[in-house]
Amino acid sequence: MKQLIEILEDVNPGVDYNTCTDLVDGGYLNSLSILAIVAELEEAFDIVISTVEVTPKNFNSAQSLWEMVLRLKEE
Amino acid sequence: MLPLSSYFSLLYLAILLPGTVLAYTVLPQKYRRAVLLLSSYAVFWLVSGKLLCYLLFSTISVHHIGLWLENTQLEANRLLETAPKETRKDIRARTQQRRKKIVAFGIAVQFGILLALKYGAFFISNFNELADLMKVTVKLPVPSVILPIGISFYTMQAASYMLDVYRENIPADRNLMRLALYMSFFPQLMEGPICRYSETAQQLWDAPPMRWKNLMLGLQRILWGIMKKMVVADRLNLLITEAFDNYVHYDGFMIAAAVVCYTVQLYMDFSGTMDLVLGSGQIFGIKLPENFQRPFFSRTIQEFWRRWHITLGAWFRDYVFYPISLSAPIKKLPLLLQKRLGRTYGFIFSSIPALFCVWLCNGLWHGAGWNFIFFGMYHFALILVENIMEPPAVWLAKRLHINRDGILYRCMQIVRTAVLFCIGELFFRASSLKAGFAMFKKIFTDFTLARVKDNTFFSHGADKHDFLIVVVTLALILAVGCIQERGVSVRQWIEKRNLAVRLSLWYLLILFIVIFGAYGTGYIPVDPIYAGF
Amino acid sequence: MIYLKRTGCVMLFLLGLLVILLAASAIFKPKNNIPSAGMEETLANGILGEPENTIDVLIIGDSESRCAICPMQIWKETGFTTYVCATAAQKLSYSYTMLDRAFQRQKPKIVILETLAIFREMSLEDAVKEILYHRLPVLRYHDRWKCLHANDFGGAVLPVWTNDSKGYWNTKKVDPGSNEPYMGAMDNKSSVSLLNRRYVRAIKTLCEKNGSRLLLLSTPSTINWNYALHNGIQAVAEELGIEYIDMNLMNDRIKIDWSRDTFDKGDHLNHSGAVKLSLVLSEYLQEQGIFKDHRGDQAYAKWEDILKNRGTEPEEE
Repeated sequence: MKQLIEILEDVNPGVDYNTCTDLVDGGYLNSLSILAIVAELEEAFDIVISTVEVTPKNFNSAQSLWEMVLRLKEE
Repeated sequence: MLPLSSYFSLLYLAILLPGTVLAYTVLPQKYRRAVLLLSSYAVFWLVSGKLLCYLLFSTISVHHIGLWLENTQLEANRLLETAPKETRKDIRARTQQRRKKIVAFGIAVQFGILLALKYGAFFISNFNELADLMKVTVKLPVPSVILPIGISFYTMQAASYMLDVYRENIPADRNLMRLALYMSFFPQLMEGPICRYSETAQQLWDAPPMRWKNLMLGLQRILWGIMKKMVVADRLNLLITEAFDNYVHYDGFMIAAAVVCYTVQLYMDFSGTMDLVLGSGQIFGIKLPENFQRPFFSRTIQEFWRRWHITLGAWFRDYVFYPISLSAPIKKLPLLLQKRLGRTYGFIFSSIPALFCVWLCNGLWHGAGWNFIFFGMYHFALILVENIMEPPAVWLAKRLHINRDGILYRCMQIVRTAVLFCIGELFFRASSLKAGFAMFKKIFTDFTLARVKDNTFFSHGADKHDFLIVVVTLALILAVGCIQERGVSVRQWIEKRNLAVRLSLWYLLILFIVIFGAYGTGYIPVDPIYAGF
Repeated sequence: MIYLKRTGCVMLFLLGLLVILLAASAIFKPKNNIPSAGMEETLANGILGEPENTIDVLIIGDSESRCAICPMQIWKETGFTTYVCATAAQKLSYSYTMLDRAFQRQKPKIVILETLAIFREMSLEDAVKEILYHRLPVLRYHDRWKCLHANDFGGAVLPVWTNDSKGYWNTKKVDPGSNEPYMGAMDNKSSVSLLNRRYVRAIKTLCEKNGSRLLLLSTPSTINWNYALHNGIQAVAEELGIEYIDMNLMNDRIKIDWSRDTFDKGDHLNHSGAVKLSLVLSEYLQEQGIFKDHRGDQAYAKWEDILKNRGTEPEEE
């Protein structure tokens, strides 16, 4: 989780990722930074994130992102 | 000439809508959904006549594809339960392959119809010209087909449904009637918004009971939309038509004014229609997705497109941009480019292929014509430049001690974005790409204020009084927009006032439309612009 | 119960709206029948400025009738007064409005409806709009906010303008048409839409209520008329019990020469054609024996003056 937050802050600084729960709906992440996050996560956790996973539901908070990472790691 | 051509007609506002509301109110829930579906098909029939069969075909085929996709998956799941571990991966892969083929087939059918009907003539005439250039004497006959109004919108909905089922975001709908309602709900069938199945299908099927409050809020929004369209969009129509049709006779100032007026008109027409559409939905307690979020407060073109025709942008983002960006070959690009260009630029440049596709599709979606393709490419270039310029702009601002969140800087950005968008609209509205360039050139080479000085500017369909009332109305809309930008709901504020205030607001708004609306002798209302796309 | 209450609320709201719109109508209605006061179609609406009960025959219809019937010619021949309330591409809904307005001050004995207007396509929406425009003038004249005067607030409606050619509009130019026969008899029948038949009936009822007789009249036109249309009108006339005269079938009497009597290749009659037609119409009106010759009557001196000053000349663009 800590690593995830670091990635997020690295890609798109200036948001409190510990508390924010509307990263996508609130317009904090644009499509470019979402792509960056996908690329970084894939690299860092050795997972494959497909288009299906790119939904506001998964990307709205650090917590939901982390859950997605864990789930994909298991598969 | 078919009987219904716009939601702003008496037929819709005085007969179809109230009739549906009445039937919806008195019937029990199980019939209410039937009322909605019946009204939807009635509206489609009145708009496009026999072309209703295209919609019926699309609905049935999409329903079928959805079930096919799901059954394939269910079958695979059954197999997986009993299959030995080592073959499971293989089964999964084969199922995925099959499902991919099914969804590709479904999409091909839907877009095939759209392409054939909407772009057939464009491609064939361009092919003929090409053949002409190469001195080949082949002349294919250019077909003249009539498009069912709204096909661009419901095709997008059909595709999103199939793709969502394919991605297992939603289960396939076994209920044909619910799907039919999703595809055809009458307020949205002419000009959108482009809804997602997960957003509206179940709401429509539930057909919530009529509520007095919803009725009032819905009607209020409809009136607001009528004001935008009849007072502003229609009033500017004569001037715009005149200037764009006969631009050769006019100077740069006239053209620049017409371009600004057209941008205003397009916004007022489309967002006014959306107010009417969402208001109609609200009457029945149906929440349709918003299509506009005060776009002219945007600071960048990117932000603009997140606030203008939102549902179209979101569609392209979810079904074109992400799939392309995340497809195997392109996914590697950012990491590859990062090494050479650095992080930020690595990502910016690796988004080019997907971004290009999005804007090509966006341009083409608006119609078959080189000016629309140019319009798409123009915005593609703007967004790319915007992304590239961002880091140096940040650096420069820091060096010069400019507060990028200061009011002055923000205003500068807002104006710049609006101007850039207006230029795009010039090409969008121009009768051809050639005409667009000629007009654009005139703005700079033939700019003179002579027409304003001798007042002939005010004799081309919009006089000083017209401009005055347009400005007053826009100021009103701007004021409401400013309040909303601060997160205050104007409608809630109104709701809390006492009866006398609310009643006078209703009467004032109606009287305002009656007196200052541009209808009757001497006016030609603008045809619903987006229904043509 | 709650439904009843809310329906009541809606009714009250609409009633309030009606009152407001009627009040606005009083302000926006033109106070005179001239363009600067906001009046539309002034040539036809010149009827509103004619002295009360001075018009014997009223004509409604589209440009065909405006170019075919010359009231000053009829006056010259018979001393009867006619007025042409015709407008370009007139729809029956507007014909009804014209007639209703004219009846406020006039008691014509005969109302002539030119039949091409009966075939003009009209949607239900057109009809409803025209009724609303007629009953709530603020809708028709809403654009007058640009030029309201103090007089508009509470001033009386006093139309005083009249037109010297009495609604007749034409030219002496010639653009010859063909003299080929165009009225070959046949059984085909062009049908008149239900809504338009309803309107003809409503116009007839309105005439009867005001003590007038309705007459359907087809004026000659090689481009706009044929035998199928004739049959269509004949059927309507029989159905509603209205007298019908088709002047396209009377050319041995009228003697229209299409090489000289039209200004647009047989679409409309020109002045010389209109004079010929008006002579025959005069004879028909005399045969009725219900009109008085007003020539020499002091109350109609103005008509004498016009004839003396400008003859039967048309209003020309």
